[in-house]
Amino acid sequence: MTVSRREWLRTVLQGIGIGMVVRPGVPSIASAQASEAGQGTGPLTVRVTRPFDAETPVREFASWLTPNERFFTRSHFGPPPADSVKPDAWRLTVKGLVKEELTLNLKDLQQLEAVTLTAVLQCSGNGRAHHRPKVPGVQWERGAVGNAQWTGVRLRDVLQQAGVKPQGVHVQFQGADRPALATVPLFTRSIPLAKALHPDTLLAYEMNGRPLPLLHGAPLRVITPGWMAESCMKWLTEITVRADETPGYYMQQAYRIPETTVRLSSGLPGSAMVPVEQMPVKSLIAAPAEGDTVRIGPVTIQGVAWAGEAPVVKVEVSCDDGKTWEQARLLGEGQPYAWRQWQFVWNARTPGPTAILCRATDAQGQEQPATSPWNPGGFLWNGWDRLSVTVAA
Amino acid sequence: MERMGSPVCHGGGMTLRTAKKTSGFVLAAWLCTLLGWVVITAAQEDDRGTIQPAQARQALTLIHARCAVCHTTDLIVQQRLPADRWTVTVEKMMHWGADLSKDEAAAVLQFVTARYHPGAPDHLPSIEEELAMIAPAGGPRQGSEGPVTGVASRGAGLYAHNCQACHGEGAAGGAGPKLARNTILKNDGAFWETVLHGRGPMPAWGAVLSHQEIADIHAWLATR
Repeated sequence: MTVSRREWLRTVLQGIGIGMVVRPGVPSIASAQASEAGQGTGPLTVRVTRPFDAETPVREFASWLTPNERFFTRSHFGPPPADSVKPDAWRLTVKGLVKEELTLNLKDLQQLEAVTLTAVLQCSGNGRAHHRPKVPGVQWERGAVGNAQWTGVRLRDVLQQAGVKPQGVHVQFQGADRPALATVPLFTRSIPLAKALHPDTLLAYEMNGRPLPLLHGAPLRVITPGWMAESCMKWLTEITVRADETPGYYMQQAYRIPETTVRLSSGLPGSAMVPVEQMPVKSLIAAPAEGDTVRIGPVTIQGVAWAGEAPVVKVEVSCDDGKTWEQARLLGEGQPYAWRQWQFVWNARTPGPTAILCRATDAQGQEQPATSPWNPGGFLWNGWDRLSVTVAA
Repeated sequence: MERMGSPVCHGGGMTLRTAKKTSGFVLAAWLCTLLGWVVITAAQEDDRGTIQPAQARQALTLIHARCAVCHTTDLIVQQRLPADRWTVTVEKMMHWGADLSKDEAAAVLQFVTARYHPGAPDHLPSIEEELAMIAPAGGPRQGSEGPVTGVASRGAGLYAHNCQACHGEGAAGGAGPKLARNTILKNDGAFWETVLHGRGPMPAWGAVLSHQEIADIHAWLATR
């Protein structure tokens, strides 16, 4: 009975699939928003159509830099109207516990020393779909992450121009995006002053050598290298130096995890909740792809690995579903905050299905766990990456 | 079923004279229990059985019209949550301004809890596909309602509830195009086709708004 109902549902679903003919010439939200941002259509996996939340298929991670139009995108309210963030209309104000309030346009900012660095940007909810029990939120799988070259100015230089008063210990960011209803809290975030003053924390106006696209925060966004993306405020318009952490939903309730998972001890969730900050060590397999059939003989497995503020020192691969592990070769030179490409040549000998896994270790000795500690927001998933392949004779 | 089950619990207190009768009764009760268990399991497997079509229609219409003001309904369909987390989620949305009465929120909660629970299949139809299955495009409403005259004063509120999130305050535009003084307002065919059946990223409103409501919105837009 149960099975037949399942089959019935499957039949219904297949019927819908067949019935869902994509009308040619009708642009999707994805392509509409992408073209609004001056880009072509990227092969993104759309999780939410509005606000446009979409992840990068992991096969794109065979490339060291993730192209702008294929970079994952996530926001709470979608981009602000394009006109409001055009360079001639846009202003950045610096206020709060500062000696001198500033109002800057893009040209003013570009008078400061330009800095370029490559950094991984990752949504805190990347991998949320893997948490059990399931948790609410966008069900990101593997691709809400990317590696890009960011060019901008140091947040420190801007704060020094304004002069931070001694009481100022948190730096709050507000973007130009607004919710559809005024009753929804604004997406407002803060970072501790120490991170704000770090010489690598940027206000970026370029992404991979091109002006920041609208979907990625044009004309200016925060980049906090090594930290999760909710600190990297897009469409930045206001910086406020404060004595306390920003109040409000998106700082005090969302993007927090039980302290015990941060300290990697074995306490139960429900302990003090602390803000999500650093990225935990993580690796992904970019090729082969889930479900691929590979030939007996040498198979090149490749992927990427990264950690928060520490370099990745080791990536291991298992081609027998975790029974044995071998070390992969790290490619190129390690760069702080960027991901490291890795490669492993597997001599596939036994025909049949198997699973390929990878796990990374950082310089602090943190090793990617088989599964991440569960937390109510489903943040910081960094369990071993795993995909199923079939070896064909 | 609980009434049938109770003699089993109290069977130990019966006399020998009634034993034979009781054993038959116990067997019947046991069979009923088994049958009940199968029915319940099947209902959990196929939650369509636990939601009447009228309830489903009401919940789907509310989700499409009220939740989609801030986010598309694909965000809802991908969740697989137990009842307590759905309750908290719906309460949060109400607190944030979701335009639902208490009864409407209860209807939505009942639907999402029954449909998008942790044991539900990975892939389920979208809210819009479900609406289309319940009320196919060009359903009974279309035939039964003749030409209608819009009332601009009613259209203002309808616009604010249903259209403003995308088309902006005062129809000045937003994620969707500006509608104030838009030429589509002078092209009845294109206007009705777009609203009833959707166009590109715009969802179909045929199952959510009545023809009178659409005419009211049109009348109000014409004053902008």
